[in-house]
Amino acid sequence: MSRLILRRVLVAVPVLWLVVTATFLAVHAAPGSVEDLVADPSLSPAARLAIREHWRLDRPLGEQYVRWLGAVAAGDLGVSFLYHQPVATVLGRALGPTALLAGTALLLDLLLGLAVAVVSVRRPHGVADRLLGGLSLLLWGMPPFWLALMAVLVFSLKLGWLPPSHMASVGAAALPPAARAVDLLRHLILPAGVLALAGFAATARYLRAALLDVAASRHLLAARARGVPPRRLFWVHTLRPALLPVATLLGLAVPALVSGALVVEVVFSWPGMGRVMWTAATARDIPVVLATTLLAAGAVLAGTLLADLLYAALDPRVRESV
Amino acid sequence: MRRTMLSSLAIALAALSGCGGGGTPTLPPDTIVIGKLADIENWNPYLADSAFAEDVLTLLYPTLAIEQPDYTDHPPSFEPWLASSWETSEDGLSLTFHIDPRACWSDGVPVTAEDVLYTWKVQHDPAVGWPGVEDKANITGIEAPDDHTIVFRFARRDPYAMMDVNDSPIVPAHAWRTIPFEDWERTDWTAHALSAGPFVLERHVPQQEIDLVRNEAYWIPGRPAVSNVVWRIVPDQNALLTQLLGHRLDFLEAVPPREAGRVEADPALRLIVFPDRAYAYIGWNLRRPLFADRNVRTALTLAIDRDAILRSARAGYGRPGVGPVLSTMWAFDRSLEPLPYDPERARKLLAAAGWRDTDGDGVLDRDGVPFAFDLMTNAGNDTRRDIVVLVQADLARIGIEVRPRLLEWGVMTGKLEAGEFDAVVGAWRESTRIDLGPVWHSARPGEPTYNWVGYANPEVDRLIEQVEALSDFGRQLPLLHEIQRLIVADQPYTFLYESDRVAALSRRVRGADVNAASPYFNLDRWSLAGTGE
Repeated sequence: MSRLILRRVLVAVPVLWLVVTATFLAVHAAPGSVEDLVADPSLSPAARLAIREHWRLDRPLGEQYVRWLGAVAAGDLGVSFLYHQPVATVLGRALGPTALLAGTALLLDLLLGLAVAVVSVRRPHGVADRLLGGLSLLLWGMPPFWLALMAVLVFSLKLGWLPPSHMASVGAAALPPAARAVDLLRHLILPAGVLALAGFAATARYLRAALLDVAASRHLLAARARGVPPRRLFWVHTLRPALLPVATLLGLAVPALVSGALVVEVVFSWPGMGRVMWTAATARDIPVVLATTLLAAGAVLAGTLLADLLYAALDPRVRESV
Repeated sequence: MRRTMLSSLAIALAALSGCGGGGTPTLPPDTIVIGKLADIENWNPYLADSAFAEDVLTLLYPTLAIEQPDYTDHPPSFEPWLASSWETSEDGLSLTFHIDPRACWSDGVPVTAEDVLYTWKVQHDPAVGWPGVEDKANITGIEAPDDHTIVFRFARRDPYAMMDVNDSPIVPAHAWRTIPFEDWERTDWTAHALSAGPFVLERHVPQQEIDLVRNEAYWIPGRPAVSNVVWRIVPDQNALLTQLLGHRLDFLEAVPPREAGRVEADPALRLIVFPDRAYAYIGWNLRRPLFADRNVRTALTLAIDRDAILRSARAGYGRPGVGPVLSTMWAFDRSLEPLPYDPERARKLLAAAGWRDTDGDGVLDRDGVPFAFDLMTNAGNDTRRDIVVLVQADLARIGIEVRPRLLEWGVMTGKLEAGEFDAVVGAWRESTRIDLGPVWHSARPGEPTYNWVGYANPEVDRLIEQVEALSDFGRQLPLLHEIQRLIVADQPYTFLYESDRVAALSRRVRGADVNAASPYFNLDRWSLAGTGE
């Protein structure tokens, strides 16, 4: 097991280097530049050149690359062109809200998916199965921003139950900690709920298929023949092997914990990584674009490693082969 | 398109549902809540670039004087702020300010000439890299004869000297001097925030909220009238409008014009409309043979129904564009009128220039070349996309084929700078300084410019240079008029419209003067009804 982790980490270094190098070349080859943001007749063309010089964008590409890579290797992600602040600061303040939102959404997604799948396989192709299948596919097919706008319309504007945006109410900073936590939870429900509703269909469908597969397998027949009680038959002998595809889904969901969900973040004014990435890309804020790419690539590698480890934990056959 | 339609539907539903009806009243009694699309980038006014940052940071770091929004009849005048008075020397080569002895920072330290000297150093230090330093080129020196007097000296007499000097916030020397300029970009400026203005920074939650509270040390008695101002950052235009209609905001400085009716229909809101300092245009790339002839360019303008565009793009909020100086500015030549919509005359002009449909395919041609071109604009801007579509339809009627090209902003700017485009729909935001050089002076090859269309009229060049050398507005005016007449006659742009700004203000807010100088022009005098403030 530890050999697997070591091997993966060793492979990760060149992969990350390749990804950031390709991104570095791509963002520099893309037309447009940071000084275009201030295309305004009151700022003279000469002043725009001065902006390029300030950020050393006038230096040869090779020099910029070596300087940047050296700094990253030393743990310095540079200074954002847009915010005139360290990139680590800019990313740092978005990571928490993103992890909170994506983590809650992932949890809801798994719970919902599991619940729907379990109910569905009780009577495959029965009424409940068909209804839930149709409903989850309908939600899956809906554009998340539309779902988000509808949620705002119904639950906050019409019913007034939940706040329509932000992580806190106006004046919440003055509240005692417990009331502040409740305020945060109230703000979290709609965006996390929308993300979960838009995503749980996949979990439910995969899990339902896997549960049906396992139900038809010979090991289950054998277990039943041995007189394993129905409860144990389901939770241990059926569900555990059926969770394998979910482990893959979970691994794939890890990048979302650091890269955010732009559309939902925008509609709910959630200060997450999606907005940081989007703003950086449109503003040609190269240091932030590179750092977010590095982070996202790292998360993908970590996610696949996590999926493999989960596989190993769930399936003894995999465990023996690694 | 799909997104826009669905979002509009959502807003419509929100309006129909009588928004906020089910919700509890959410606006706090002592706080003005303002909605804004994007956040402040940085809390140091010399590291932030956006107009919003400038508007907010000026509430903390005041200027010596306040430029007034009275530029319609004469160049803008100034009212005292940190400086209680000022005078220009007889030769016009120096300007002396007397700092208000009452002025002090929120930590109680007085504002002195030392702060102005320090600000000057900040502006010029290469490690800070402030792009505005350029506007200070005419200032040769600065000195402080005593603690409350500061003298600026100029290389030459310039009517904009006051603007040059004043156009930058004063920062606290005593608090910031200890931070080396090299470390500025790694400094958390919220931790060093002070204020000599009406408000102090209470809290900034990035991408969420800016909280300003009354500066108890503010030296102008009785101000500000309100104790808290909060900006809620809502990054989506539709969500912002929904929150306004749901009565979760007191003020929204930019309402999409087509939604103005909804604001007007809401008894709790007041619609505020005033001329913005911006105009929309189509720029014809004069290097292309298609647009080399000014009669052809005039024909194109005549064939485009600019009133219809104004109605469609801005719901009628604005006025037809005339020329390179806004019709609401003192320097505008009032003898100029917008060209009429006259497709018949356009046809005749084109025929006289040799453009006829010889092969019967519905598109004009000359020497076997069809009159067809790309009309470029930035993707994501729905107004401009609509303009492109309307222009395409108008020009199709006189036999000209327009191919819409929607490009990402950076890609478009790259093409503009390289001159690799046929025509572009764009807009310019104008400062109160009339400076026609960057856009209309012919650019020398390889030199940076905003004259992307390649306009080159030697007479216009000569007049622009002459204006720049003149030291008083009175003598500039006839030359500025002449430049406008020449440019309008040449039609390098089709001047589409000058837009109005449409803002919405809650009726509980009193005393607000929202104008094109700044949406928060007199924020220190805003008050809330029924709070006794």
